[in-house]
Order: sequence, then C-alpha cells, then structure tokens
Amino acid sequence: MKRILTALFLLSAITCVKAQDNYDTSLIPNDLLPYAGAVVRNEETTVEVKDFDYTLCHVKKAITVLNKNGDDEAGLVIWYDKSNIIKDVKGIIYNQWGKPVGKFSESDFDDESQHDGFSLFTDLKLKHYQPRSTDYPYTVSYEYDVKSKQSLDLENWHPLASDGISVEKSSYTLICKPDFKIRYKPINLHVNPVIATNKQGLQTYTWQISNLKALRSEPYSPIYRERMPSLKVAPDKFTYRGVSGTVTNWKELGQWQYEKLNAGRQQLSPVTVQKMKELTADVTDPKAKARKIYEYMQGRTHYINISVGIGGLQPFPAADVDQQSYGDCKALVNYTQALLKAVDIESYYCVVKSGSQKISMLPDFASMDQGDHVILCLPFKNDTTFLECTSQNMPFGFLGNFTDDRLVLACTPQGGKLIRTPKYTAQANLEQRKASFTLNAQGDLSGTMITNFKGVNYEDRDQVIYESKTDQIKDLKKIYPINNLEIESADLKQYKTDQPYTTETLKITASEYGSASGDKIVFMANPANRITTPLREVRNRHFDVHINRGYTDEDEITYTIPAGYKIDLRPKNVKIEKPFGRFEASVTVNGDKVIYSRKLQIIDGDYSKETYQDMVDFYQQVTDSDDDNITLTKGS
Amino acid sequence: MKKLFLIALIFIGLAKTTRAQDFEPGITDKEIEMTAYDKDPQANAVFLNEFGSTRIDEVNDHVRLIYTYHAKIKIFNKEGFNNGTIEIPIHHNESVSEDVDEVTGTTYYKDENGIIQKAELDPKKVFTVKDYKYGSTVKFALPALHPGCVIEFKYKLVSPYIDYFRDWYFQDDIPKMYSQYEVHIPGFWTFNASLRGVLKLTKSASEVERECFISGGSKADCSHITYGIKDIPAFVKEDYMTARKNFLSAIFFELVEVTNPYTGVKTVVTKQWSDVDRILKTSESFGSQLKRGSLLKEYIAPVIAGKTDELEKAKALYSWVKKQIKFNDYYGIYSENIKKAIETHSGSVADINLTLVTALNAAGLNAEAVLLSTREHGMVNTLYPVLNDFNYVIAKVNIGNNTYLLDATDPLLQFGLLPLRCVNDQGRVVSLNKPSYWIDLGTQQKGATTRTLELTLLDNGKIKGTIISYYKGYEAYERRKIIKKFNSVDEYVEDFDEKHPKLKVLKSDILNLDSLDNPLRETFEVEIDAYDNNNHDRLLFNPYFWEKRTTNPFKLAERDYPVDWGYASDSRLVLVMHLPPQYTIETPPQVVAYGLPNKGGMFATAFETQDNNTFTFSNITQFNKTVYDPAEYPYLKELYNKIILTEKGEMVFRKK
Repeated sequence: MKRILTALFLLSAITCVKAQDNYDTSLIPNDLLPYAGAVVRNEETTVEVKDFDYTLCHVKKAITVLNKNGDDEAGLVIWYDKSNIIKDVKGIIYNQWGKPVGKFSESDFDDESQHDGFSLFTDLKLKHYQPRSTDYPYTVSYEYDVKSKQSLDLENWHPLASDGISVEKSSYTLICKPDFKIRYKPINLHVNPVIATNKQGLQTYTWQISNLKALRSEPYSPIYRERMPSLKVAPDKFTYRGVSGTVTNWKELGQWQYEKLNAGRQQLSPVTVQKMKELTADVTDPKAKARKIYEYMQGRTHYINISVGIGGLQPFPAADVDQQSYGDCKALVNYTQALLKAVDIESYYCVVKSGSQKISMLPDFASMDQGDHVILCLPFKNDTTFLECTSQNMPFGFLGNFTDDRLVLACTPQGGKLIRTPKYTAQANLEQRKASFTLNAQGDLSGTMITNFKGVNYEDRDQVIYESKTDQIKDLKKIYPINNLEIESADLKQYKTDQPYTTETLKITASEYGSASGDKIVFMANPANRITTPLREVRNRHFDVHINRGYTDEDEITYTIPAGYKIDLRPKNVKIEKPFGRFEASVTVNGDKVIYSRKLQIIDGDYSKETYQDMVDFYQQVTDSDDDNITLTKGS
Repeated sequence: MKKLFLIALIFIGLAKTTRAQDFEPGITDKEIEMTAYDKDPQANAVFLNEFGSTRIDEVNDHVRLIYTYHAKIKIFNKEGFNNGTIEIPIHHNESVSEDVDEVTGTTYYKDENGIIQKAELDPKKVFTVKDYKYGSTVKFALPALHPGCVIEFKYKLVSPYIDYFRDWYFQDDIPKMYSQYEVHIPGFWTFNASLRGVLKLTKSASEVERECFISGGSKADCSHITYGIKDIPAFVKEDYMTARKNFLSAIFFELVEVTNPYTGVKTVVTKQWSDVDRILKTSESFGSQLKRGSLLKEYIAPVIAGKTDELEKAKALYSWVKKQIKFNDYYGIYSENIKKAIETHSGSVADINLTLVTALNAAGLNAEAVLLSTREHGMVNTLYPVLNDFNYVIAKVNIGNNTYLLDATDPLLQFGLLPLRCVNDQGRVVSLNKPSYWIDLGTQQKGATTRTLELTLLDNGKIKGTIISYYKGYEAYERRKIIKKFNSVDEYVEDFDEKHPKLKVLKSDILNLDSLDNPLRETFEVEIDAYDNNNHDRLLFNPYFWEKRTTNPFKLAERDYPVDWGYASDSRLVLVMHLPPQYTIETPPQVVAYGLPNKGGMFATAFETQDNNTFTFSNITQFNKTVYDPAEYPYLKELYNKIILTEKGEMVFRKK
C-alpha cells in the first residue's frame, strides 16, 4: 500500500516536471527583443464565475526580465479587500538558462493600504512583491487566485500591459454556467474566441494571442485603449456587494445606478430644503437658481474621499454631506442634486472617465469599469449644463480639461444614456498676451504684461491665484523664462462668467534683458512664451497622430527702444500653415517701437502617421523662431 | 488609615492636573472673529495654540511613552482647509505597535445667521492606513470646515519605543502664535535634549515632580521641563537646500542612560562615543555582522584569487558585493544577517555595506564602517553622540595613504564615488579595533564634463563634424544612469538623434560604459541642418548652441539658507570650426572672465583664429564649492546672469 502511494507521488512529480515550461531565455524569438525590457513568456488568466456571488480568478504568468528597465514588470501587485480574497500565491525565479534559483510565497509579500494620493481612507489593500535577481536576464513565474464575492467586475484582459514589453503568449479564459450570459468586446484584438463546453458542462470562452512586439512611446499617440489589444467582458446578470442587477446596455446600467445605488440617498432636512428655497427666492430663471445653489455648495463643502465597501460605487447620503461639509465626487454630486431637487431643478448623475486625455464610454459596450469620476448634468432646454462638484472654485458650468468633450453615462429616471460633455475648441483655448516694454541702453527691460486665459486655459493660473502675494510672485518668476525677472506687482483675477476667463497683469523689470556691448544691444524677440525643446522625431512610427486638445497662443510685445538706436538684425518673419497647426511670427518697426507678434495654433484631431514628420518640422521652425534675437545698433 | 491614604492620593492627583500646562479647550470671540493673522496677513491658517506633552509611565503593566497632543488652528480661507486633515505617522513591527486613541476634534464656525456652531469629529471616522511593514498613518478630517472656522483637536499616542523620545517641531508650513512642549522624565531615564533652528525659546522652565513614576514597587521623581516659543513664523522652503528638518526650529531628544526600575541596574546608553562604540561593536546587528569574516571567505576567495595589489582587491570585492546583493530600498545602520542577504541577493543599505566592510577585512584590507545621515534625513549632531541621527552606513577602505568611501547599493557607482544622498556633512567611522572618529563626507569627488566639437560648415549650409564628450565623477554617474535607462546603447543613440530633429548621428561610439572607474567617453559624428543654404550674406552662429543656458536658476533676491549642490563641478568646451573660404568672421564671440569671491568658481571664454577660415572657441564653467552660504548667494546669482548674457551673444559670419 505504502509503495503504491510512493509510486503515485512519483508519478505526479514526474508529470509536474514534464509539464513545466522551459524558460531558457535563448528561446525568446529575436523579434520580441527590440525596445523590450521584459518579455511575457506566457500568461494565462482564467476567470470562473461559480455563482452570482462567487468569482474565482486564476492568474499564471511567466515573465523574463532582460535588463534593469524590466525589473518592475516582474513585480506583483495584488489588490484585495474584505470581499476579494487572495489565495495560493507562489512563484519561482529562474536564471537565464531556465534553472530555478529561488522561490517565493505569500509570506514574502509586503502588505499595504491603497495610496491613491487623494483619499483619506479606502478599505482597498494591496500585497506586493518584487522578485530580485542581480543577474540579467532572469525569469519569474508565479500563480495566484483571487476569490471574489461578486460577479459584476470580471477581470478584463490586457495582454500587452504597457510600452517596453513584448509577449510570447497570452490567453484569457472565462468559465461559467451555460445560463450565465456574458457580453464581450475585443479591441485591437484580431482573434476570435474558442467557445466550448467543458467536461463539467460549463461554458468556456478562450482567447489566445502570441508574438506581440514591444511598442515604444510615441508622442501624440492615440489613447491607450486604441493602441493596445484588450478584451472587455461583462455579465448580463450579476450581484455586486449584495446588490443584483441585469445590464445589457447603457440604458440598463444607468437605471441600475439610479434605482439600486442612488435612490433614497437624497433626503435633506426640512431646514436645508427651506434654506435652498430662500436662497433662490429672488430669482426665477432655473439656471440662475442652479448657479446660486452650486455656489452655495462650493462655499460649504470640500473634497475628501472615504471609500468603504460598495462606497466605490454608491454615494454617501446627502444628509451626511450636509452635516460633515465634505464628501467624494459621488457624495458631492448626489448632495448637489438633492439641493437642486429642493427647488425642483432636475439633474442627472453622470459617470465619466476623468483626465486631461479625452476617453469616452464605449457606445456599444456598457460596463461600470469605464468611468472613475462623477459629474452633474443639468438638462436645461437647449442649454445642457455640466457641473464639477468637487472643486470649491470652478465657475458654474465649467468642466476644464478634466471631463470635457467625451461621452459620459447620465443616470436618468428613464435609464442611462450617453451624452457628450462640451468641447473647448482650439480657438476657445486662448492664451492672449500683450506687453508694452521699454528697453534702455543698458539692455534693461521694464513695463507691463497682460495675459488673458480663456477656455481650458482659464485654469492655467489656478496653482498661483490662491497663494499669498509673496508666493504668487515667487511662482510667476519661475513660470516666465525672462532672465533677471523681477515682478513689481502681480494682479490675477478670475471672471466666472458663462465664458470664464482669467487675467494676469504684471508690472515687471528685467535688468540686462538685452546684452549691451559696444554700440549693440542683442535681445530675445519672444520674452514670455518660447518653445525651447523641439518635438522629437520618431523613425518608423507605428501609430497615427492624435492631438487631444487644441489651443491658440497670441503674443504681441511692443518694445520702445532707446533713443538713437535702430534695428540692425531682425529675425525672418515666419508663416506656416498646416492642417494640424498654424504659426506666424513677425517683427515690425514703427518709429522707436519694435513690435514682435506671434501666433501659434494647434488644432486637435486625428492625422495620418505620415503627418508626424511634418509636425516635427513645424515645431522645429517654431523653436528656431522662438530663439530669435533682435540686434539694435546705435545708428549714425 | 486606609481612607486617609486614599484622600492623599486624590490630592496628589489633583496637584498633578493643576500643574499640567495644557491650554483650556474652547474658543474666544476674538478667535472666531479674527480675519487675518497680523504678523503674517497672507497666511491661510495659523496655530492659535499648540501643546504637546510626553511622559513615561506604566500602561497595562508595560512601561510606555505617553504623548498627548492638543492644537487649535484658525483657518482663514478655503486654501487653509488642508490643515483640517490630520495625519499622524505611527511605527510598528511584528510584535509591538504605537497606538493612537482618545482622538477628539471640534470645528467652531459661524453659520449664515452669524451664530457660532460646533461640529464634533465622529470617532468612527478616524482611520488607520498601513503604509509599509513598519509604518502606518492615523488620519482624520475635521467636519464642517468653513472659511473663518477654528478647529481644535487632541489625541494620545502610546508608544513602546521609549528610547525614541518624542521630538517636537516648533515650526511648520503655517505660522504659530504659540507652541509649547512639556516632558516628564522619571529619574530612571536620562535624555540629552538639543534645540535646533534659528528661533529662541521664549519659555523654558524645569521643576521636580515628586514620585511621578511608580511601577512594580519602584518609584522615581521626574524632571518636568517646559519649552515654549511665541510668534513662530511659517517655514518657507528654498530651492537647492538639504532636508527641511535641518532648518526647522525643533527640539530633539536622545537617550543617554537608563536604570532598570526593578533591578536598579544602570545602562549607559549613550554618553560618550566610547559608549556608542561599545554598543555598536557588541550589537548583534552591527559588530557581530562585521565579525563574520570567516563566513565570507568561501565567497571572496575566488574574487581576489591571483590579485596582490590592495586596490585591485578592494575594487574586485566592491564589484562583487554590488553584483551579489541587490538593494531593496531600505535604509538603516543595522543588518540582521549579512549571510541571508548574500544568499537571497537582496538587502538593505546596512546588509550591503556591512557585507562590504566584512569582506574587505576578510581579504586582509583595512576597512571600517562609516555611519551617516542622508541629505533628506538631516544633519547629525556632532557635539555628542546621537545614534538616532544616523540612517545609513557605508564602507571606508584605507589603502596606503589613500582613503576610499564606498557605497555598494548602486551598480553604476564607480569605486570611491558616493551617491549624492550620502554627501551630507560628516560621518562617524566605526571599526572593531579603534575608537570611532568623525570624517568629512564633503566630496572627494566632483563632476566634470569636457566636450570637444570639431565642426565644418559646408557649402550646402550643413555643419558636419565630431563631438567628443568626456564625463567624470558625478557627471559620468549621471550620464551612465541616462544611458542605462535604454535597453541598449543603440536605443540610447536613436533616442538622442530623434530628440534633436536638426541633427543626424552618422556614427557613434560610447566607451567605458561599464568600466566605471574610467571616464565615460561619448563620440558622435553628426550632421546638423544649420542653414537652408549657403547663399546668405551674413550667418548668425551661436558657439554655445550645444547647451545654451537661458534662464537663471536663482530667482530670489536673497536667501536665508545655503545653496547646497553637494559636489563641485567643472565643465569645459572646446569648439574648433572650419568655415568655407567665402566666409569671414564679422563678429567674434565675447571673451570674458568672471569669478566668484575666494576662488568659489568662475566662467571664462577664449577665442583665437588659426587661419582665415578656422577658429577655436573655448569656455570653462567651474563651481569649486559644494555649499554656498547666503552671503555668497548674490555673487552666485550674478555669475549666472553673466553666463546667460554671454551665451546670448551670437557670432556673425560675413560673406567676403
């Protein structure tokens, strides 16, 4: 009996060895090496939905680190909380010939709370481990399970996680009961799933991809989602932290948020309701009422995020915010919505993907994981207005570059719908500067410089405007590349009108701005707004050009030159027109006035990859022009 | 009798509370009405009062450090709201932890009707966030913040780390009207207190508290010392300065000796350096590790086999440690087990550098350990030993008359070059067989760059030629780091080429990338699109085009704190340029020489023509000191100004 057992054990041991993959680094195909710091040898993600409240995700991965740059790719970070439990983590480190040299398990991991940099507290935690080897290349293989008490958030698949990694083989398998219906959307993924039924009678969907070369970062690339292959998976029916739902489209997803998560969380005390009525009693226009309430909300709340349990998706009750004066984006939106409701103004809770880069909800695929922020929409007739509720200072109706021009999910009583937030055009995003300077014979500069910031540029001075005067001047001196800049006075104002703008009026001096020697004075024509680094070239560019947001800069600088001097050398006037941008710079002379004017406009949009070299040339000409000097000589 | 005793106890208790000098909770009308702080009208918030107290006492049968904190802050506007979120760092290890409890907080504000309202902190909203293995942060946010509100909060922190008596920072980013710290130290313990920063104490008092410490039948009197400062200005940070800790007004404590309350056995913890030396030498995680030379013999034998020269041996061992143990980003002066670090290929600063010291000694060299404090960690106290000041250890090897300081945590460091983080004032040299002593860490090494450009202006308007750059010391280290960010040298050159659209790299060569002890040499054969053609009458040419400085890094009119660059630097450029025969030089570059007082640095240029069509232009920039004090600052700023003005000057080539 004993002998049989040993035999069995041996047998299984032998199969183990056989099944083990060979991680000799010489087996990596040559074309996977350029631009790669690490190569994913094999990655297998298996998601098994065992029940509505039980999903098991199994990850198995082997990655070869080629050099120091790839070290981080071999590190593991596993998120967990009370309802996502990590199980059975184990891993092996191999040397370059594929011989095991070390192993690790869960006890080697460091355990930390999540640090997103903005939350006071979240109950999300993470375990991480950084395998270390001093010899390159080395390979790390590991596997682990995460047991999750929900079925809404199914792991997505990103076989090529970032630039600088190549992939030998990667696969994704979803296993579920035949009646558990899923929706999936492959993006840049040109393989079809293999759909089958396994021995247990469960439905399996498998995608597999191989030999993906490493990409390198290219300026003005399309968004990550459009560059990298990925697969999104979502269930039709699910349970999430005790809340169940059926979602096959955006309408139903919005409905679920509205009815299951937000409903009943907008009660306010009669005192607060009365206060809102009184606050708006003297205005009749609903938009004017809404503005008053928005400004009231801004005045008495500030942003603090506390995320526990379903708090990731569900707002805190409005009454809590009323009492604590703080909340996260969901809580503040929900609170503002409640305040508006007190005076019968309808508004929609809108889920958005935030960030300067514009990323829309995928119109043909509804899933919760696409958004990370919430804003409020006021559906006034022909005048849809959006409110950012986490800022104490933003003008009413202004979104800035954080949530502009993208599709968001509005959760309305009639269900969800995708609507687009307003766009700030290249013409609207204006930085307009006018300066009037006097230059003396020593090259010293003095005068006044006034700049207007419009469109998304409204926020350009937000870092400065709320500082003390002393700090304002300190920071402005760092913003402007004017040598020996001294700011005698700085006056910054923000106008929170329908088209909000910021003005900055500076009285400045700059000793020896021009270099005076002999009878010559040499000075830079463009004092305030120079592009100094040209756009880098990219040989063999892979992706088309994507300009995320356009803008216009206009500078007009008038120099009064010292008596007896005249212009000796002046820069060439430049005028360039391209589909993606325009540039004009010129110097004109009018008596003792030398006027430099510059206009740069960059137009957002998508352009062919061939356009990129044109952009490089364009920026080079701008950089050269911005570096131009004017030479004055004492004339006879 | 029993009754009487009880009354006496209560009486003593009462006497104790009256003596405690914490300020009264609650606010005054004046505080809520205040609209600005008259001594700093631009401040967004101000501490109206701050009080801290630390005592040593028994808690649940354990002797603990008990720290209480109480603060009242006026918040003038929304920009001051961040002062309403409180973060308290705490320390812990596998067995014990610091604990924060009894957190209370109140916000006082005026509502719309001008009535003063009070909002209390919900105790359930006090959160603990784990940062890493040995540290967490307790966080809470005061509720109902309004512009003009006053917040007041208190907490108690109980710590098992008695040796780390709580330091106190008088100064913060916002001003304080008053800050007071009290310590109650039982006679069983003796601490050294040191005041740092420019502010003077406005209150300083001490008294004896009778029998304030009772534990397990032993009792002791306490020294009760009060430190207070009035009208503390906000701390304003400047660029190019070391740790803010070095400049903040604060009081620090270091344990000197402790008497075991139960056995009466006295342990001198730190008094003299000789005491510290003894502690370190006998410490399991310091001296004992340094004695494990025999353990390393098997590893080092092949490394030094065949080598007879001491320097050669030292270099080989330094490379071996760098290759053997990878740095895990933990600082510290103690190593649990150097053998484990060698076997797992992963270790802390102490694991790595104590291994190095041990290996060097095992190979028959004369090596010592050097304790130091990194630049972010602050300056060390050189008046008397403060072991807590040190957070880093390096190796020192003495060969002949030369001394080399070594840190093996970064594979790109050349032999004898310390990473900048270590270059901070003085270090303490500790060895097994000698008394310890101070050495200056102020660099043995500097950074130097020498560039030679040999260029020819062609008839088609292009410039063609060779650029050779030599990097030494810190400059070589920095450049190697840049190159190593790429997967290969080819990718680095490609990137360099692409970043300069007007420039094409025709050929390149990088020498000594991995021979760290030699200067790094970069050779680029390039072609530059300088002019669209060669038909112009006048061509402008800036001889500084390769790296032109256009803005002064120093913006402030004056400084309060020194400029600390960490190392001296020297950069030189020699440009030899050949012009086509049809051009002649109309405007040569300016020839200048500017210097800093006391040979602190200089900028100078030279120009000469070889024949009608060839000229040589050279310049040199030197900063000879690592630290420039505030009095030297205006000169430094002006030198930069002159550099920028000079580099603006363009040469003009005129067609004959």
